[in-house]
Amino acid sequence: MAETTHKENKVIDKISSKFKIEGKLQRERRIWVATDKESLIALCNFAKDLGFEHLSAISVTDWPEEGTFELTYHLWSYSEKILLTIKTKIDRTNPTVDSVIPVWEENAQIHERELHELFGVEFKGNEDLAPLFLEDWDGPPPFRKDFDWRESVRHRYYDKANERERAYWD
Amino acid sequence: MNEKELIGTEQIEPITEGETEYDFYFGPAHSGSGNFGVRLKIDGEKVIAARADPGYLHRGFEKLMEYRVPMQNAVLSDRVCILEALNWNLVHAEAVDELTGVEVPQRARYIRVLMAELSRLQSHLIWYGVMSLALGFDTGFKMAFGYRDYILDVFELITGGRVYPAGYICPGGVRKDLPEGYEAKIRRVLDQTEEMMQKMKHFDNVVFARRAKGVGVLNLEDALRLGTTGPVLRACGMKTDVRKDDPYEIYDGLDFDTPTEKEGDAYARCLVRGKEMEESIRIVKQVLDRMPEGKVREPAKIPPPSRVKIPEGEVYVRNELARGEGCIYMRSVGGREPYRVKIRGPDFLHMIPVLEHLLKGAQIADIPAIYWSLNICPADMDR
Amino acid sequence: MVKQATKMKRLIKAIWIFNWFNSCGFAELVPVVGSRWDMERFGMIITGTPRHADVLFIAGYQTFKSIRRAQVIYEQMPDPKAVIALGACTMSGGMYWDSYNTIKNLSDYIPVNMYIPGCPPRPEAIFEACMKIFHHVGAVPPHGRKFAKSHSR
Repeated sequence: MAETTHKENKVIDKISSKFKIEGKLQRERRIWVATDKESLIALCNFAKDLGFEHLSAISVTDWPEEGTFELTYHLWSYSEKILLTIKTKIDRTNPTVDSVIPVWEENAQIHERELHELFGVEFKGNEDLAPLFLEDWDGPPPFRKDFDWRESVRHRYYDKANERERAYWD
Repeated sequence: MNEKELIGTEQIEPITEGETEYDFYFGPAHSGSGNFGVRLKIDGEKVIAARADPGYLHRGFEKLMEYRVPMQNAVLSDRVCILEALNWNLVHAEAVDELTGVEVPQRARYIRVLMAELSRLQSHLIWYGVMSLALGFDTGFKMAFGYRDYILDVFELITGGRVYPAGYICPGGVRKDLPEGYEAKIRRVLDQTEEMMQKMKHFDNVVFARRAKGVGVLNLEDALRLGTTGPVLRACGMKTDVRKDDPYEIYDGLDFDTPTEKEGDAYARCLVRGKEMEESIRIVKQVLDRMPEGKVREPAKIPPPSRVKIPEGEVYVRNELARGEGCIYMRSVGGREPYRVKIRGPDFLHMIPVLEHLLKGAQIADIPAIYWSLNICPADMDR
Repeated sequence: MVKQATKMKRLIKAIWIFNWFNSCGFAELVPVVGSRWDMERFGMIITGTPRHADVLFIAGYQTFKSIRRAQVIYEQMPDPKAVIALGACTMSGGMYWDSYNTIKNLSDYIPVNMYIPGCPPRPEAIFEACMKIFHHVGAVPPHGRKFAKSHSR
């Protein structure tokens, strides 16, 4: 295993020596790194210079008990053939984070626009955060954990007075 | 009903007097488009600006998966994009397998690759049919959909469903073993597909050459900046394939090429897909020759859903779909359902930034050629 | 009502279809046009505009955004017309019954004449429905009823 993960370990060493953070090697071609909000842009620029030029996806995970949103940036390097994931946590009540558009341009812009609509995360520096999928939506951001879809569908579509649908209400 | 509410022209600047510019909505019911809208600002016959209008198919797929256990998600995962159902099945199954750490048996891996490559073949045939229809080559449409039906017969023989295999590729392997006589049938289908490719001259025909050459040119730098993947990126000159760079299942043991072209226009994309179909046929033949014996699922008896828990962890799985790079990020906290699933489809990038970039400066008559040469699937974008 | 039904029986020998192919349910309609399950031999063609169509095929799940467009298309079709709903999603919400953005019952939004079950329905089922629609022409709803304002959400 040592020789097959040689280049992944080199990347981890480069990142941890510059940013003082721990990199986790999950298996070959998969590295996971966690950082804080302030050093996110610096780490992204450093990663891009190392060769991680393809932003595969940006995702948000909702942790309501902790009160945070966890952002994950998945980066692929065509030259090194490694996937690097950068994770960072932001406050859930006031979710703002710097946009990575200066690093990955339109690719990042569209991902951030989608996450803004579905989770309500503000990306500072992204001018175009208009709604993408939903038209005239006035409810809460739909993908958050406190919006229970099954309850809302039950209330909207199943009729309490209908005998045959009584089972859904018990 | 107020028409202005439907179209929503407030995102485009208003037209000033004396100019020849006008707004045009290339909409969901137009025969040249799929169920996806594009707002265009046009000057005469030339497009100046384009803005994509997605959302006609948004179901909130990722959160639907949070309510279901992995075996149910296996059935739901083929509906991310109907045109390549088995490929999405495979992505989801790999994500759950990596989380649970199960060792998928070799025979199951070979069967998975077999189904994925057949699904890639039929997806390229759909693309060829619809592209021919858009460019005015009706024979191509009839041939493609006629020959595609033979592949769907194979799917029906093996999985039970023509388009939706009901989660045939499930976490742990595949649902059931291959039936009798599958090999002869698949070889016959491959011969028929090759016959069709011969007749259609490997997608290199005069209609495509006249209407798709020089249209929708995408250079490599823009492609990388906009997040393009798959055949669209290979047609710009970049030799990359997830099956070779980030191998999954048994692809590192198989022998196949990565075709590329240099021009980056719609015609180059057609040629790349034609060559990819030949490579897929090659892969299927190798898989059939080497198919091992053994179990097809680990564990062999599926335990009841109330007893299965996904161990805690997170994974990111990348696969090469017919359209590009399809990925799933799955996070679990040890419960029965996944905590968060993020589905990244290739069309999310192809239909919004890349399409807006390519439509700028194009003629109206070329819009179907550009659209369909990107091989878009709106369901994959909206999820 | 009786006059309209007899008029329709005389006029419609082969139906012309407008295909609102919104979602995955439509994927088996394209082979129906193709060469193996050729529907043109029955006289059915797909028209590019709703004004030429007799029958509207609503395939699969609809989101709120797309059902508004489908209602406009339904109103643009001239009488007599019929609506055929394809798939399980039009009957009860189907696979996406717990989604916040899809509709659960198509007949709340558009009057439906015939449902075809399946996920997605096979081409043979679509042919059977097209043959049977002629027997049901008497059940065409009275014209002039506007559905756009009710159930807009």
